[in-house]
Amino acid sequence: MELFRNAHFDFLGRKWWFILPSLILILAGLSSMVARGGPLYGIDFKGGAEMEVRWEGRPPIERIRAAVSSRLKGVSVVAAHDLTGFNEVLISAEVPAGGDLTSVRQTMDQALSTITTRYSIRNFEVIGPQIGQDLRRQALMATAGASGGMLLYLSYRFRPAYAVAAVVAMLHDALITIGLLSLLHQEISLSVVAALLTLIGYSMNDTIVVFDRIRENRRVDRREPLAETINRSINQTLSRTVLTSGLTLLTALSLLLFGGQVLRGFSLTLVIGIIVGTFSSVFIASPILFAWESQRAGSVARHASLSAGGVR
Amino acid sequence: MKRTLIRKTLFLLAIVLASGFAIFRAPLRLGLDLRGGVSLILRVKVEDASPEQQREVVEQTRQILERRINAFGLSESPVQAYGSRGNELLVQFPGITDASRIKTLLQSRGVLEWYSVADGPYRSEREAIAAHGAVLPPTLKMAATKPAAAGGQSWYVLESRPIVRGTDLRDARVAADTMEQPVTAFTLSQDAAARFERYTEANIGHRTAIVVDEQILSVPVIEDVIRDSGQIRGARTPEEAEDLAINLRSGALPAAIEVVEQTMVEASLGADSIRAGLQAGAAGLAAAVAAMLLYYRWAGVNATLALLLNGALLIAALSCFGAVLTLPGIAGAVLTIGMAVDSNVLIFERIREELRAGKSSSAALAAGFSKAFATLVDTHVTTVVSCIFLFFFGTPAVKGFATTLVIGLLTNLFTSVFVSRVAFDWEVLKRGRTSALSIGMPG
Repeated sequence: MELFRNAHFDFLGRKWWFILPSLILILAGLSSMVARGGPLYGIDFKGGAEMEVRWEGRPPIERIRAAVSSRLKGVSVVAAHDLTGFNEVLISAEVPAGGDLTSVRQTMDQALSTITTRYSIRNFEVIGPQIGQDLRRQALMATAGASGGMLLYLSYRFRPAYAVAAVVAMLHDALITIGLLSLLHQEISLSVVAALLTLIGYSMNDTIVVFDRIRENRRVDRREPLAETINRSINQTLSRTVLTSGLTLLTALSLLLFGGQVLRGFSLTLVIGIIVGTFSSVFIASPILFAWESQRAGSVARHASLSAGGVR
Repeated sequence: MKRTLIRKTLFLLAIVLASGFAIFRAPLRLGLDLRGGVSLILRVKVEDASPEQQREVVEQTRQILERRINAFGLSESPVQAYGSRGNELLVQFPGITDASRIKTLLQSRGVLEWYSVADGPYRSEREAIAAHGAVLPPTLKMAATKPAAAGGQSWYVLESRPIVRGTDLRDARVAADTMEQPVTAFTLSQDAAARFERYTEANIGHRTAIVVDEQILSVPVIEDVIRDSGQIRGARTPEEAEDLAINLRSGALPAAIEVVEQTMVEASLGADSIRAGLQAGAAGLAAAVAAMLLYYRWAGVNATLALLLNGALLIAALSCFGAVLTLPGIAGAVLTIGMAVDSNVLIFERIREELRAGKSSSAALAAGFSKAFATLVDTHVTTVVSCIFLFFFGTPAVKGFATTLVIGLLTNLFTSVFVSRVAFDWEVLKRGRTSALSIGMPG
């Protein structure tokens, strides 16, 4: 079996067909985030308390909300049914300012016990606001550092244009994914951040494979117009791109469908990320590389003709 | 040719055995998020001290807390520095669901002082001060008893200079007194014992107050000369007496601490998520392997072998380093598997291209592997570079991700290039240099 045996798609010629939808997606995600006043952080990042409770039978969501709200502020109660058929409820609340972090669990437990005793606490997390802020800052620093590091390494191995194009494509993926998560009401928790890191890795990997082929083809034939080299390289690596993404997508989809509630944020992010990441290495990174390199080539040509004129 | 191939194959078998042994000897430990337990982040309140002092106080606190935890019988839980502010500590207790006792144990400072009582008890603070004409002289101070179970409290006026301090202690342990009440017995250091002996000799019949963390625990009357040991009553339960003994033994904290984050994961939740995650991951992986076999035929078998060995090596390396597997760690493993699949696809597609260009099997293999290797190095090194930054700037969770990924990438670079190459070479050797490779291309 062979995919794309002799593919000759003109990727660069149709770049706006792909860049425009991508821009629209980014805008939609960004406006959804602006409308919400920032990304939807989970309590890992904003601080607060969260309790996961398993009920015997149908959980009375309204009564739970009323009972907890009478004792704590900023309460949200969400029912989560998964394929395993258990009735789980996610209760989150703000931690009273200056209050004792450790008493929140008791308060929640007391509120629930006024309704029934037929529940069990599965998970409880309480995070002070300061820690959440720290985590946010640390995550940002780690992303900035990692991007900078990759930029340097790629500039050294390829050329700065390649590095910039690859890093822009990577940021594009992160931005689209965060936007889509906001549109899908998925909170950004620590495991979502882990998935974001994973997809950044995938996307980078994909882009480098294409770039590597462009560099190799450039070495073999310097006189071929850059647009053609890029198109040819993308076509040559196309079956690899589609196969790899397809195979990893299979794993991620199976995690999303059967992996349970705990992994949901993680696997959803991964599925979105793999699709967006594959897309971006072909349709975003390569056009940027082309635009940058052809502009540089243009200015080099102008300089060359100028200096040639000077001699004459 | 054949001899080197046999040598390489034996080398691979040795690696398989070694990693099997490593996994068997030190099975991978599961992190708190998968196994269940309690995780606490504590802040040491040292904001107004100078940076060096701060560091010293935090380190002292860390050691003392570790001693307390060890004495409590939870030696599996080291206290680690946490965060960038320098005054936070992380400690995790796997397998524990009720953290209230351990939290009280960690948060109490454990400062013991023994005072001589001037007068009391009074029913309120105001009454006590009134008895001294509204102002207490500097030689005296006030202290309240620990609230009783019913909530009652009384006040005493004490001499401000303690007779004995916590630093004078040599040992503390739980004992039962004659009435089967739990008491904490302690022994004084030599120097303090001499002081205490002189004091008790001169003050027989006087009342004294044993104060722990600014609360009076008991008010014993000196009945006889006491040399180097004594007992503290007033604990409401045997646990309380034991915790007090642990805290006195491991020393008083140099600063107060507070809990700023607490996570509790029910072990059953962890078990559920492991099972669901493993099943889903296995199903996904099986689908990917099936697709590779379908697409690449015999070469797909090579890729699967490489993939399996990569997994074994990754787990073996993680258990050798004593790493703890957490959810972000699994994310790193997922990315590793993805990149391992990709490496094989990349190599195979390259070999196919070379075959299409008309090269012989062995020439196509050599060219395919060497050209794909250059690409592999770039993709792998780029990811390793980003992992280094994630490791240095990241939170513990992100660090787990980065560590797993870096190990996985290193093992993958080895397995994808070496293992499937050996398998291919066997195929060429068996079928002859000129016959077609089974890599899923129409012959």
